[in-house]
Amino acid sequence: MHIHIVKRDKLPLWKKCCFYLAAVLAALVLGGVVLLSIGVNPLEYYTRMFTMGTMGNPIAYRVFENYLKDFVPLVLTSVALSLAFKMRFWNIGGEGQFIMGAISAAFVALKLGPSLPNAVTLLLMCLAAMVVAGLYGLLVAALKVRFGTNETLLTLMLNYVALYVLIFLGETKADWNFFLREDSVRPVFASFSDWVKFPAFSLGGRFTLNICVILTVVVGLLVYLYLKKTKQGYEIAVVGDSAGTARYAGMKVNRIVLRTVFLSACLIGLAAAFKVGTAGILSTAITNDVGWTGIIVAWLAQLNTVAIFLVAALICVLHNGSVAAAATFSRVDSSFANMLQGAILFLVLAADFFIRFRVVITKKGGRDNG
Amino acid sequence: MSQPYAIELKGITKAFGSVVANKNISLNVKQGEILALLGENGSGKTTLMNMLSGIYKPDSGEIFVEGKPVSINSPEDSKRLGIGMVHQHFKLVDVFSAADNIWIGREKAGLRLKKNRFALVEEMIQRFGFDLDPAKKVYNMSVSEKQTLEIIKVLSYGAKTIILDEPTAVLTVQEIDKLFGVLRRMKAEGHSIIIITHKLNEVMDISDRVAILRKGEYITTVDTRETNEQELTEWMVGRKVDLNIDRPVMEKTRPLLELRDVTIRNDEGALAIDGVNFYIRGGEILGVAGIAGCGQKELCEAIAGLRPIEKGQMIHKGDNIVGLPPKAIHEKGISMSFIPEDRLGMGLAPSLSITDNMLLKNYADTKGPFVNRKQGRADAENVIQELDVVTPSTETPVRRLSGGNVQKVLLGREIKAGPNVIVTAYPVRGLDINSSYAIYNILNRQKQAGVGILFVGEDLDVMMALCDKIMVLCHGRLMGVVHAHKTTKEELGLMMTGALDLTDKYEDKPAGIAKDTRFGEKEGEEEA
Repeated sequence: MHIHIVKRDKLPLWKKCCFYLAAVLAALVLGGVVLLSIGVNPLEYYTRMFTMGTMGNPIAYRVFENYLKDFVPLVLTSVALSLAFKMRFWNIGGEGQFIMGAISAAFVALKLGPSLPNAVTLLLMCLAAMVVAGLYGLLVAALKVRFGTNETLLTLMLNYVALYVLIFLGETKADWNFFLREDSVRPVFASFSDWVKFPAFSLGGRFTLNICVILTVVVGLLVYLYLKKTKQGYEIAVVGDSAGTARYAGMKVNRIVLRTVFLSACLIGLAAAFKVGTAGILSTAITNDVGWTGIIVAWLAQLNTVAIFLVAALICVLHNGSVAAAATFSRVDSSFANMLQGAILFLVLAADFFIRFRVVITKKGGRDNG
Repeated sequence: MSQPYAIELKGITKAFGSVVANKNISLNVKQGEILALLGENGSGKTTLMNMLSGIYKPDSGEIFVEGKPVSINSPEDSKRLGIGMVHQHFKLVDVFSAADNIWIGREKAGLRLKKNRFALVEEMIQRFGFDLDPAKKVYNMSVSEKQTLEIIKVLSYGAKTIILDEPTAVLTVQEIDKLFGVLRRMKAEGHSIIIITHKLNEVMDISDRVAILRKGEYITTVDTRETNEQELTEWMVGRKVDLNIDRPVMEKTRPLLELRDVTIRNDEGALAIDGVNFYIRGGEILGVAGIAGCGQKELCEAIAGLRPIEKGQMIHKGDNIVGLPPKAIHEKGISMSFIPEDRLGMGLAPSLSITDNMLLKNYADTKGPFVNRKQGRADAENVIQELDVVTPSTETPVRRLSGGNVQKVLLGREIKAGPNVIVTAYPVRGLDINSSYAIYNILNRQKQAGVGILFVGEDLDVMMALCDKIMVLCHGRLMGVVHAHKTTKEELGLMMTGALDLTDKYEDKPAGIAKDTRFGEKEGEEEA
């Protein structure tokens, strides 16, 4: 018996979707086995998880609002990262850019917030976060363009620089440090939720839709059009595919790299501003790991903007749902979601293999030596 | 059976997806003979040989080595059976010495690198009758030395049957002669040799028998002595083919592009082109011959504005265009297409569709922030129709097309812009006879339309038939410009290696100007 791997012809889209769906289901089955082994009924657990505990919950609208609060930064970061990834610029510095954006937004909110109208403060917060995060990304792009440094290493290391700046601000009790509460002896981040907040609209019932959600969908749409229809999007595709060809076609490759990385980091900064503007306070866990999860989302979605929205929605359900389920099933920690996310990633990659190749088993191959 | 076949294949079939690369192929190699394997691109030659070298496994069929049925599951199996393959792209570690490259592939090489390996390898090289310094690093070797090393490597592993995949593609005429000498000696020592090539004159020269494949099917095996090039081509292509390349004679016009004392440096900062003078007239094809790496690439890039010109002038229709950005040069009507070894590196974005590739040079010309894909699609349809590109649609990624079609797309786009100078490097690289002739026809049509063409080529026979004049470069220096119909391959070969320099012969004229021209200083002043 011999096993061959044979390349497949192109599969129709619905068949591809079936493969991916099967991968997600397989991951859930795998998780189910784990749940069974610790004596939890997987069906009950999954029901609770996928409804995020909204069933029979009198404040279910709150659950959705919180869900969207997680969804917005993740999807926006992921969309932003996909811009750089399309150009084969491996920006894994989403965390650092997010933190730098968040600090800048908080700076504006704390310094200017009390004296300016809400709308103006919010606008300035977004702008400051975008510019600072953008420059933080641009630094790496500039070094790469000028000296040929490796962007993976630099963006990775700058994540920690940003994180420690944030921790420094959060733990240094001093007169100059306006990021902390003045009335507290222990270092605690100051809240500005009283005077700065992104507005939310009521949609009939008690559920309110935050303006960030609408803006995120608009940005997603714009990025989609940018990549698919504009000249700059075309340039990104060409540079990503073959930098030599781009240069040959007269494109200014360095400028395109700088521009795209700046834009990518800018949008991550915007995600940070949205996050800070809704939370009303800084925290050392402000990123909620979107810089990392965003990479997974972007690749699971194969850098397709529409798919990024779907995958991000699913990943957020996993995370929020597992927290909700942990309340009922005390034996299952909420980090179960991370395990499921990992299983889904691996199985989707496996599905990818089966989409591209076919395994053929032949009964009788050539004879053995001798 | 007194003398079993060295290798015999029976009913070998191999498919990749729905593409059948080899369909029920049966052929054999006798001991001590040279078998040429002939076929167009995509006819399955390399796939078939990869099954012998253990890289692929046949879907069905049997392989016999010296009469015994075998199954080859890995390159190790193949090595043990005495089959060695010299691949088209050498499998050598650049920073290792010749001896170490041989040593890493040895069985029982041990964990320690022994001091006496150089002596051992030296002895081996002597025994096989080669000439190579075992301590020389691969990156210091010429192409022909690397090939020699590959052959020594294969022999040292005890190969009785040696497969060479297009070994002559990168060699000069003199080096090819040397290689063929080596092959004949190996044959005399009882080795069997399979040589893959699509150069018919070489097949006639070196082989004892010729096996022909066409579109994955085995056609026939013939004795070389009883056949001729015309017959072989018909078997290979499946129909009658006119092997003559046209060279329409055109009225000469004034030079369109002239380079004077141009000096260009390569990426490492060394001189790539050293004080070269030449010019291209409208309605002529000027060939550029030279050994790989003698500055052709840098020359093409400099003309297209992609590489700075250190010294000298580049005059296009009376304007000095040195220092202009690539876009401005393209707008002046100078088109450059360079087909690198991997065939997709420069000029095309492989993952993008034909439509998107059509837009590459003029996407920025429209107003507004959006790309005009409608125009690109129309252009793509035009090129597909005019040049007979085989593709499912205009939206197919270029990398999914076969080599000939990729090159047609590239040339099609360049011609579409209506250039007056076409610089094209290796446009038929890796293409089969049919596609190559299609490309020659495209170039000839452009020439007849009054376009000046600089053709950087590899195959001297083709260049002598297609070009009007041929200029020869050696280590970045111009060795002379000769008339294609008056020169010989030997003369070109000598010039390519630097043994013959024709630039000194006519001291009254600037170097590199063909002897019939009266394009002297006066006219030059006027142009400049």
